[in-house]
Amino acid sequence: MSLQSALQDFSGPMVSVRNLRKRFGRLEVLKGLDLDVARSEVLVVIGPSGSGKSTLLRCINHLEQPTSGEVIVAGERVNRGDLSGRALQRHLNAVRTEMGMVFQHFNLFPHMTVLGNIIEAPIQVQKRRREEVIPEARELLNKVGLVEKQDAYPGQLSGGQQQRVAIARALAMQPSVMLFDEVTSALDPELVGEVLRVMEDLAREGMTMMVVTHEMGFAERVGDRVIFMDDGLIVEEAEPAEIFARPKEERTQRFLADVLK
Amino acid sequence: MVLDWSVIIHYFPFLLKGALLTLQISLFSLLFGLIIGLVAALCVLSKNRLLRWPARFYVWLIRSTPLLVQLFIIYFGLPQFGLDLSPFWSGVLALALNTGAYNAETIRAGILSVPSGQSEAARSLGMGASLCMRRIILPQALRLIIPPLGNNFVILIKDTSLVSTITLVELTLTAQRLIGSTYKPFEMYLMAALLYAVLTTGAALLLRQVERRMTWGAV
Repeated sequence: MSLQSALQDFSGPMVSVRNLRKRFGRLEVLKGLDLDVARSEVLVVIGPSGSGKSTLLRCINHLEQPTSGEVIVAGERVNRGDLSGRALQRHLNAVRTEMGMVFQHFNLFPHMTVLGNIIEAPIQVQKRRREEVIPEARELLNKVGLVEKQDAYPGQLSGGQQQRVAIARALAMQPSVMLFDEVTSALDPELVGEVLRVMEDLAREGMTMMVVTHEMGFAERVGDRVIFMDDGLIVEEAEPAEIFARPKEERTQRFLADVLK
Repeated sequence: MVLDWSVIIHYFPFLLKGALLTLQISLFSLLFGLIIGLVAALCVLSKNRLLRWPARFYVWLIRSTPLLVQLFIIYFGLPQFGLDLSPFWSGVLALALNTGAYNAETIRAGILSVPSGQSEAARSLGMGASLCMRRIILPQALRLIIPPLGNNFVILIKDTSLVSTITLVELTLTAQRLIGSTYKPFEMYLMAALLYAVLTTGAALLLRQVERRMTWGAV
């Protein structure tokens, strides 16, 4: 596939966003964002609710169509205005396999087993052979610590387990970037740690990650860079140690004071 | 009031034969009605106006006119245009078109009640619209659809009695004819009613079994 080969010798940023705007009717949720995520970088996005963090992630994999601006993932333009209809769909389906997305509410397929969830897209979308995909899926389950749950249904798992399966499902497509959209916000407090640990392992293995989160501890420990968003704009951007110890902007200071107290 | 049991016992086999035809009509209408309903539901939900508008029109038309009139149009009206269907296939066509419209509404509602996060997850994994519908949405919608669809089936079975008006000697018309020779309307209609109850209850029980098999894990 052209996308795969393009990726091999690709050295620029894995994600590139230029002057991204998103409007829902009269409400402008993103007001012109620019950012880059380097290969193997973990970019953490923080900010109050309604600041546009989730919309940013959803625009990157085109679950929301940006109103204007550019989104480029692994050198490939995502929101192509020159395509429409079936051609656009095909293009989106192809670029989306480069991005794994994990959602706040897991969104596992309840009618499939854990293993079924993981092998579904590799078999149906990438047309790979079942015998080849299943061992990989088991390996991924092993990685997220759930290999013994492969035949369980999502409804039989705890929230933390479901979210780890969701991570494994996204990884099964062998994406170049992982997008995490408040993945611990719907979890009971005691289950947050097991999910964050899996994400930490991923980061250590060199996965490129964009993480929207309220877990400031995780941001500080795992993030390479933190972006603070408010009201549809990037207010401040710095290394974690810097932004948590000495936030420059007044809005960042206020937000961190509220969250960390 | 005393029932004439000898008449009941003597004529039961005739009514059973009528019930068999009722069952046949029901099964054909059910099958075609399901296919029509699924296609119409997908069309109603389609982004393409050329699919959506005719499907909406069909559902509206069927639901706002009586089945008996629909049946008469097909049986008495269509031959004017050279489409001369047998009573059996006229009946099946009318019933299938009728139940199809109700099935379409049921299926549409089922599809819409699958949480949007499911299709978002599917799309984020690179699935196209039709793959997502087939593998992710429909299997989940099916579980929600089965109980109301069972309702439609029961209504369909009862509605087959209307095809007695186009000379099909199914259960109701069999009873009517037997009354002509026995002068026992109560016994005959009572037996017909009981046989309808057997058919509808059988259908309902069967569907409950299907529904029970469709639970995933402890959900």
